[in-house]
Amino acid sequence: MRFNYTAISLALVATLSACGGSGSDDTSTPTTPTTPTTGFSFVATEMITNLTDDVIVAGYADLAAKGDALLLATQTLLTSTVQADLVAAQNAWKSARQPWEQGESHIFGPVDSLSIDPHLDSWPLNTTDLQTQLANSNGFDADTIKGWNDDVQGFHTMEYLLFGDGVNSNTKLIADLSTKEREYLIALAEVFRDYTAQLDDAWQVSHNPQDANAKPYAELLKTPGDATNTIYSSQLAVIEELINGMIGIVDEVGNGKIADPFGESLTTADTSKVESQYSWNSLTDFSNNIIGVRNVYQGEFTGGADKQGLIDFVTAADATLATRVASEIDDAILKIQAISGSTSMPFRQAILDADGRARTQVAVDALTKLQATLQSDVLPLLSDWNS
Amino acid sequence: MNKKLTLLAVSVASVLGLSGMPNAQAATNTETLAKAIAKQEAEITILKQQLATLAAEQKQQQQQNKQVATQVDTVVQQATKAQDRLSRFSFNSYGSAVYTSDEYFDNVQDTSAERRSRTDLERIVTEFGYQFTDDWSMEVEIEYEHGGTGTSLEYDGFDEFGEFESEVEAGGEVVVEKAEIRYRTSKAFGVKFGNIHLPIGLSSMLHKPNQYLTVQRHKSEAAMMPTVWNENGIGVYGEVADFHYQAQVVSGLNSEYFRTYDWVASGHQKRFEEVNADDLAFAGRIDYGNFKTGSAVGVAYYYGNTSGNRHKSNKLDVDGALSIVSVAGAFVEGPWILRGQYLYGSLDNADAITQANKTTPGLRPGNFAQLGSESQSFFVEAGVKLDEWFDIPMTVFANIDYSNPLMAVETGTATKRYENTWSSVGINYFPIPEIVIKAEGGLHQVAVASIPDTNFFALGVGYQFSL
Repeated sequence: MRFNYTAISLALVATLSACGGSGSDDTSTPTTPTTPTTGFSFVATEMITNLTDDVIVAGYADLAAKGDALLLATQTLLTSTVQADLVAAQNAWKSARQPWEQGESHIFGPVDSLSIDPHLDSWPLNTTDLQTQLANSNGFDADTIKGWNDDVQGFHTMEYLLFGDGVNSNTKLIADLSTKEREYLIALAEVFRDYTAQLDDAWQVSHNPQDANAKPYAELLKTPGDATNTIYSSQLAVIEELINGMIGIVDEVGNGKIADPFGESLTTADTSKVESQYSWNSLTDFSNNIIGVRNVYQGEFTGGADKQGLIDFVTAADATLATRVASEIDDAILKIQAISGSTSMPFRQAILDADGRARTQVAVDALTKLQATLQSDVLPLLSDWNS
Repeated sequence: MNKKLTLLAVSVASVLGLSGMPNAQAATNTETLAKAIAKQEAEITILKQQLATLAAEQKQQQQQNKQVATQVDTVVQQATKAQDRLSRFSFNSYGSAVYTSDEYFDNVQDTSAERRSRTDLERIVTEFGYQFTDDWSMEVEIEYEHGGTGTSLEYDGFDEFGEFESEVEAGGEVVVEKAEIRYRTSKAFGVKFGNIHLPIGLSSMLHKPNQYLTVQRHKSEAAMMPTVWNENGIGVYGEVADFHYQAQVVSGLNSEYFRTYDWVASGHQKRFEEVNADDLAFAGRIDYGNFKTGSAVGVAYYYGNTSGNRHKSNKLDVDGALSIVSVAGAFVEGPWILRGQYLYGSLDNADAITQANKTTPGLRPGNFAQLGSESQSFFVEAGVKLDEWFDIPMTVFANIDYSNPLMAVETGTATKRYENTWSSVGINYFPIPEIVIKAEGGLHQVAVASIPDTNFFALGVGYQFSL
């Protein structure tokens, strides 16, 4: 330890003397001392409040409402023989998928601490066990399913039951939906509804179901630095969480969700790893993930009235950068959507197609670029901010 | 010294010679005689002085001799003491390194396995023992596992919801596997306390590489309960006729970490910095014969609640009583080795524990939360020592390991995904008795039709010695 101190002090001395030396060389003629850069100023309260209420909380409230709707749609299927009822349930599933995937750009707080993510969205699906449950279970109920492993419940189990195996088609006939599949589906939707409601409550009512006095998580996000706020010590911590959330999902989509099944070449492509492959909803999922990034960045959902978002924070520091980030986000969304080409090719087919692979690569590149910008240009702004 | 004696002798001789020699001339010359007498007297005086000196020297020498003798005595005493202390100290070590080649599935949907090979410095174990007195002794066993990094888990109740925090420790995983004080008054009765091995599962007793035939320890046991299970507690043990008995009260398991794939094994609180001991457990065993040295049969029983040891005590309001029964047998006679064990366990309120684990913030049991209300496993290994017939120190063996930690669930249907069977054949080669080189090849079957059987291959080297 003594050696370390000695080494550190030696290093410091060396560094200081080096600075002194070069400084005297550079300033052979005396100049007026320049004021050091003091960074930029931005009042973040409105932005944080807006992002919390109008983007995050609004998103989870939407998810909970769509969870309700999905349960109702599946309950209709119990005795139905009408194809339109199945299509309605499929659409209710896709509809619930939207706020969830967009919400992945801010997957911190209760969704993480209450471990809700794996209960809702475990992938890959355990089709073997799912078939076993269908073959052997006598009736399904929500409580029982909650005790099962996550890979036989949540979004993708419902997807598999609603859409079929997705290999050659994503349409299923209601006649092919067995009674057990219907019962399982309804129970799954009930479990799903419960978790989405719990998530919504955690943001709006109490972030800790075990503690009656716990504040809503939204409150904690909006009041950083309060004496009672044990999670966020400052607005800077909140903005850092938001930016890191965006980086996290861009990384996951580019380097995980797309890159994993894509492989290095056609021979190493693996369609079994494609998320949402039964419904052929993969590209919608991926673009929704990045739309979620845009929601946080712009401060409002697409098409909504302009409100403060992270873009205002970045603009305060560097207006050019702010515009560039906005266009890189838009570009990544467009490039993901473009993977389907002119023939509306689903992702699992596109990665096995030469042209599809070229389009996929373009999307991956756009995501890589966006991720680099967020990491190298946006995140460092935090250290320049005079909060 | 000898030189001095010679000089003295010569002097004495000359004096006597002078005095005894008749000399007519001298007799007639008184003056001369007086001179001669005076000279003789002078010489005698010198001789007396020399004798006195010699006597003093001899005395000094005797004293020196005495001192040397005392010193030698002290050294001998010290050496004897040291030897005695050394003989009270014992040091043993064993260890193993393995190479395995298995076929792995990427994820739960994958049915085309990919072959991967791995090497692992499984463990290096050192055991120190000391016999304080005839009755009192102690033993400490320290294990260095995988030569990799280790993490410890800590529960911080003051964080957000109460956080389970992992801390990565640098420099390799070092585990104290046993640290016990023993008081043994007779063969028939002894008490041990501290961190002691539970006598449940044969791996606790036969864990040195030369004590089991397979390259790695039996997979069946590891898929159901802690192998080489150690807990803090107190136990009595002894040997009456050919019966060996053990009865212990020890710290129990923590159900927060029970997992689908290895049932209660992960609940072993060695992952935590401190062991919660609100729920204690009872472990007992009785054997006829001795598994360590030869043939034996035995039964063991473990019983303990597991709910009280949870960190989040408000997540579960029912008991998670766990019981495990073991029946084991070994026939080791001449060249033949046959060993086997059957384990059966039951867990109360498995569904409630599953629910609690799934909804404990930060705990992340993730996908593997569902727990079996019943669990079972067994193994049978059979070997033949070839040196009985050939001049080669080798044992050939066959082994079957079976485990199903999800044998039954409280409600619904248990998946067969965790029902595994490993069948293998192999060899143990002993170039010298302290070293064993092992090879094993076999078949791994999962009881789900859509999951294909896979082949595995393993090589291992192990050593063990005792000072």
